[in-house]
Amino acid sequence: MNSNYYLRYERDERVKYVSHLDFVRVFGRAIRRAHIPVAYSEGFNPHPLLGFALPLSVGYTSECEIIEIALSEEIAPDELQERLNAVLPDGIKILSAHEGKSNMKKLDIAVYNVFPEKTPSGIAAFLSMKEILIDKKTKSGIKECDIRPDIKDIKVTLGKIEMTLSAGSRNNLKPEVVIAAMNKYMDGYESGECSYHRKQIYDIDMNVI
Amino acid sequence: MSTIKNPDALFRKVQKATHYCGGELNSVIKNPDEVQIRYAFAFPDTYEVGMSHLGMKILYHVLNQREDTYCERVFAPWLDMEEEMKKQDVPLFTNETLTPVKEFDFLGITLQYEMCYSNILNMLSLAKIPLLAKDRTEDDPFVNGGGPCAYNPEPLADFFDFFTMGEGEEVIGELMDAFKEWKKEGGTREDYLRKIARIEGIYVPSLYDVEYNEDGTIKSMTPNCPEAPKKVRKRIISDLDAVSYPDKFIVPFSDIVHDRSNIEVFRGCIRGCRFCQAGMIYRPVREKSADTLLKDACSLIESTGYEEMGLSSLSTSDYTQLEALTDKLLEVTEKEKVSLSLPSLRVDNFSLDLMERVQKVRKSGLTFAPEAGSQRMRDVINKNVSEEDLIKSATLAFEGGWNGVKLYFMIGLPYEECSDIAGIADLAHKVVDCFYESEKTNKRRGVNVTLSVASFVPKPHTPFQWARQDSMDELYEKQLFLKNEIRSRKVKYNYHQNDISVLEGVFARGDRKLSAVLLRAHELGCKLDGWNECFDLEKWKKAFSDCGIDMAFYTRERDYDEVLPWDFVDIGVSRDFMKNENEKAKQAATTPNCREKCSGCGAASLCKTKKGCVCFEQ
Ligand code: SF4
Repeated sequence: MNSNYYLRYERDERVKYVSHLDFVRVFGRAIRRAHIPVAYSEGFNPHPLLGFALPLSVGYTSECEIIEIALSEEIAPDELQERLNAVLPDGIKILSAHEGKSNMKKLDIAVYNVFPEKTPSGIAAFLSMKEILIDKKTKSGIKECDIRPDIKDIKVTLGKIEMTLSAGSRNNLKPEVVIAAMNKYMDGYESGECSYHRKQIYDIDMNVI
Repeated sequence: MSTIKNPDALFRKVQKATHYCGGELNSVIKNPDEVQIRYAFAFPDTYEVGMSHLGMKILYHVLNQREDTYCERVFAPWLDMEEEMKKQDVPLFTNETLTPVKEFDFLGITLQYEMCYSNILNMLSLAKIPLLAKDRTEDDPFVNGGGPCAYNPEPLADFFDFFTMGEGEEVIGELMDAFKEWKKEGGTREDYLRKIARIEGIYVPSLYDVEYNEDGTIKSMTPNCPEAPKKVRKRIISDLDAVSYPDKFIVPFSDIVHDRSNIEVFRGCIRGCRFCQAGMIYRPVREKSADTLLKDACSLIESTGYEEMGLSSLSTSDYTQLEALTDKLLEVTEKEKVSLSLPSLRVDNFSLDLMERVQKVRKSGLTFAPEAGSQRMRDVINKNVSEEDLIKSATLAFEGGWNGVKLYFMIGLPYEECSDIAGIADLAHKVVDCFYESEKTNKRRGVNVTLSVASFVPKPHTPFQWARQDSMDELYEKQLFLKNEIRSRKVKYNYHQNDISVLEGVFARGDRKLSAVLLRAHELGCKLDGWNECFDLEKWKKAFSDCGIDMAFYTRERDYDEVLPWDFVDIGVSRDFMKNENEKAKQAATTPNCREKCSGCGAASLCKTKKGCVCFEQ
């Protein structure tokens, strides 16, 4: 029988350009270096049993990433955390380790901190729009779609925009799309280059995952 | 020293930012203020190619072992990055600390193949370092070249301050020590170059004058100062067990060409194929002991977490302790779930068994390299493989469950006749037949024989260094001829682009006059020539014609009396040996390999110890 664990980790500036796919490999190799008895899938090309919550876009940092991992032996969660932290590349750090499965299947909402070059004013007017239409690239060409329902909240403080957005497999809104919409609809607003940081992920009732 | 400003503005704009931003596992972090020497190590091709290269890992390790030196990496930027760098006016910078290359003390460039020469000029220009060595000042790094192409550095002579001949592990340290001395003494750039010209293996092109005959051939090449030796002798590491080998490899974030750790089994090759430059310039064969290799392997598995480990050498089957090594290695790799990759293994019972054990291979692709189609031609090139051997190995493989093989050949070889080319098709047909004649093969799946046919390029420091190289048209005709000789639908024929091979041949055997062509090609925008989407033959042709230089001058046959541009480089193998080998080729007479019988090539004299060296085995 395999034992299930999940880990909460952060990815900082130093690894923000690592794509999700590459990140999976980075993690797989860290597990090998740490000699963690990870369980492997069956079949011709066995791979370690890892599960990731929401993939992080290239260029983003985060402090709320989750990975699920199945081990063939039991290990104390603290030890798991320590052993992995000892071998992970700089910029990736396990913040906590837990036994059992995470709630990541229920993931519904994510909060991002966006740091623009210029702080916007008049966000209330933006939020009061009934529809916020943006062009979205799909396989069949460019389609207009309304992102308003997926914006749960936006708070602006000096130098920072905090966005609460739909996340997960059903509706997933990226903060960069919201920034594009703000540039388009907010009179005279130009964000400039932004940096993006994922702060927290929640289920539909705003319980932290 | 300063790092580039606002790197994010660049990284956000490019597709593969991890190729430029550093931070990979095991990359070396030092405080630049605490070292005395900063060395930028450049691989003049893209990150995914350069990061797969073993030599770079070795020298990175050796240099960074020194407390006084910080070695960082730099690669040729891909098109998107180059465009952004130009737009944002950011000079070429290193991956580790994002420091402009111009601010370093050294820029070491590894020269692995001729078709990267345009990248070198492009990188210098992106770094804002003067292209010509003579224009550089105290504000510029010393530009140093090494690697296989340094054995004929002349086409690059104008762009480099100096070259290192041979294996770098020892000489690089001597260069760093000399640098510190020179700094203390407070001399000029030229003082440093004269100082290191005395070090064995160092070639400073500005310290030599070349005179030409009326027909464009070289009349003489003479040192113009007392420090410069007449002949530059290559350096080798005598005892591979004693030299430090990386215990860590940098593990890139993204996928690269060879994404695995590697242990280096031996250097050199006992075989002496007459077309093969590696087989000559890396002489003599020096082996590492199985114990050292096992130790290397264990450290790398531990420090990288790589899923795959490669055995690196020119011909792994010739390793004398192969069985002992693989036995011990398999104990470790099986436990750690690491697969072994065994390129350059001859196919026989032992190796098939081994492959079965170590590799999760789909039984489709095995490769054989008979190199020539007829026995006569194989004797000409001294490739010691008989038709019987090949058919036996192929049958073994087919009976073991493989149903596809790839056969490597060359065309355009010296003394080649039509029947030799037809022999390629014959041999392929015989391989197909042996599949159907055996009772133990799986007929239901059928068989695939793929021919990979490269165009021969005569290389310096080989017995064929005097040979004429076929023109593009002749090569094309030979390819068509071969195509028509193939009658079986089970045989697939892939041929290589032959325009690249002619250019490659021109620069391989080129002289200093070609520096002008390289400059012109750079102005015309030639770069990343190893990439199909970038290579543009028309631009190269224009560069040659603009400079009034005829490619045919460089592809022609040369006399034994002619002074060759690379004659001043002493690789330890005598000219008489080369000449004799070329004469034997004309008679299709073979030469035994180093282990069967020493042919007295001269390379034995390079070794300081007898241990592990093939010349002293008996
Ligand atoms: S000296 Fe003899 S054994 Fe040594 S490399 Fe030359 S031919 Fe081979």
